Amino acid sequence: MKKLHYQEIEGNSSKFFLLVGILGCIILFALGATYYMEHHGHHVTGMTNQVVWGMPHVFAIFLIICASGALNIASIGTVFGKSMYKPLARLSCLLALALLAGGLAVLVLDLGRPDRLIVAMTYYNFKSIFAWNIYLYTGFFAIVIVYIWTMMDRTVSKYYKIAGTTAFIWRLALTTGTGSIFGFLVARQAYDAAIMAPMFIVMSFSFGLAAFLLVLMFSYQWTERELGDKVVIRLKNLLGVFVAGVMYFVIAKHLTNLYATEHHAVEAFILSDGGMITKLFWIVQLGLGSILPLILLYSPKTANSRNAIISACSLILVGGIAQVYVILIGGQLFPLQLFPGMEVSSSFFDGVVNTYSPTPAEILLGLGGIALSLIIVTFAVKFLKFLPVSLADDVVDPHHS
Amino acid sequence: MSQLALVIDLNVCVGCHACVTSCKEWNTSGLAGYLSDKRPYDKDPTGTFFNRVQSFEIGQFPKTEMVHFPKSCLHCEEPPCVPVCPTGASYKREEDGIVLVDYDKCIGCKYCSWACPYGARELDEHQKVMKKCTLCVDRIYDQSIVEDERKPSCVLSCPTSARLFGDVHDPDSDVSEKIREQGGYQLMPEWGTKPANHYLPRRKTSLTIHHDELVRADNPLKKEEQLPQPDFDDPSLDDVTSW
Repeated sequence: MKKLHYQEIEGNSSKFFLLVGILGCIILFALGATYYMEHHGHHVTGMTNQVVWGMPHVFAIFLIICASGALNIASIGTVFGKSMYKPLARLSCLLALALLAGGLAVLVLDLGRPDRLIVAMTYYNFKSIFAWNIYLYTGFFAIVIVYIWTMMDRTVSKYYKIAGTTAFIWRLALTTGTGSIFGFLVARQAYDAAIMAPMFIVMSFSFGLAAFLLVLMFSYQWTERELGDKVVIRLKNLLGVFVAGVMYFVIAKHLTNLYATEHHAVEAFILSDGGMITKLFWIVQLGLGSILPLILLYSPKTANSRNAIISACSLILVGGIAQVYVILIGGQLFPLQLFPGMEVSSSFFDGVVNTYSPTPAEILLGLGGIALSLIIVTFAVKFLKFLPVSLADDVVDPHHS
Repeated sequence: MSQLALVIDLNVCVGCHACVTSCKEWNTSGLAGYLSDKRPYDKDPTGTFFNRVQSFEIGQFPKTEMVHFPKSCLHCEEPPCVPVCPTGASYKREEDGIVLVDYDKCIGCKYCSWACPYGARELDEHQKVMKKCTLCVDRIYDQSIVEDERKPSCVLSCPTSARLFGDVHDPDSDVSEKIREQGGYQLMPEWGTKPANHYLPRRKTSLTIHHDELVRADNPLKKEEQLPQPDFDDPSLDDVTSW
């Protein structure tokens, strides 16, 4: 087996500058969109007092889910001792940090008062899952940075295992916290379910790995470094298992709800009468985002094709955004039940399915979060040793201990 | 601990929105203000209100009736909006049970709006902080206002006195008596939030009248129909010629 070397990328090709330029432009547009929404107020967005979280939150939560999932690759190497994943650990940690930074940037800029972030840092209400999340997010940054440090600096490498294990436990807690934002919500029909937290964890496995695979494949392709099939095939097989896992949780959640009469109305809304939400659920989340990727990943005709794997990963991410949209927006569109068992309609939104149309500014802010994550990764691999020079089959060890 | 609250009599509420406008008037210029509006007189107006009247048509046409249902923050004894607030901006006062938002601590995350099962919270579109009914806390303790008017603005303005204000923990208070005597109920008590505001139900008075009760069987005169019926144009003296 050849020795593993990490090296910065050169980062002076026209492709590199084009990528940085495009990402930079998206970030600038996103900042412009933020300024526009901040200056004019909430009413220029599609959000209302019925749909209080919109498209930026969809992107933010999606990125935060991806972030904790992207760390999994490193955890498999460190916690579970699979040596083939160890060369990927640095990139895994980097991507996790970058995705979390992108997600949090969107989340903070979409707050009513982002200027009061210091208030959120100095006043805590420990009963709030949101306050826990502030600790979980900042703790994640700290722990993963230490984790990367133990990988890069031999003098502290003895702490590598403990840092990796802590990061793994922390990331489970973090995604539990993200899922519990919805799991702890008793007021809305679509949530208040203990399954939310584990479902979000499995979603993170799937979306995070898809994002990781895409970044890995494109970075090796553009830097013309060698990426062997063994790594890619191993990761894509694992990805398929995670996609199936997400489907399992989605089915379990909806079947459980369908069993209880109380939830029939909200389930009917999501599964059959919800218009765009229903289409997103069946076509994008399940069809394009789950079933088609499974076919692409496991069908003998496409299983070994890089293009098929790239398509599958992209579809999983698009399906993931659709899934978060269905959970987040779908749950808000369904009206509050003030008079259970009654058919209700009033002069003020009661019993009426709310509407939400995301404005371009909201979508731009969300895309800005993705661009921020990618630009962080791009600069980090240029200036620090995150990427192995080669991940050819004879460099990585497929026979894990 | 006292628990100030509103008791709203649905039997006499006529849906005139006086409570809505007086609330907006007092609060937009008071400590809880301003309550911003966008396009107030145009298509699709939006704005912040502490109190809204929701009108429900009950039943199927033609057997319908309209119930006007004023709804504002219910000042729950177990408010679900308070524990979820990450900064503690939403809080419940110990001394009188009023649930308030500290605008200076609110970061506008809107999670309390998710948690409120009654949809009582509204984000001010310009100040971008969460706002809600304060029970006119800046008015009810104001010593410069005559004592009789130290009540929430909506209570003072209600033309039918459908809105009552007082301490629902004091068994001798007017509101407690009304709740007790007239079947006051809470909105969605099954949430366990123990809303302090109560509603008094519609009370229908029905009387069965039998046909024989309309006929004066024991009319002592028995001559009513024979009394003079002067022509309409005839000169008349009231009490003599008008029947």
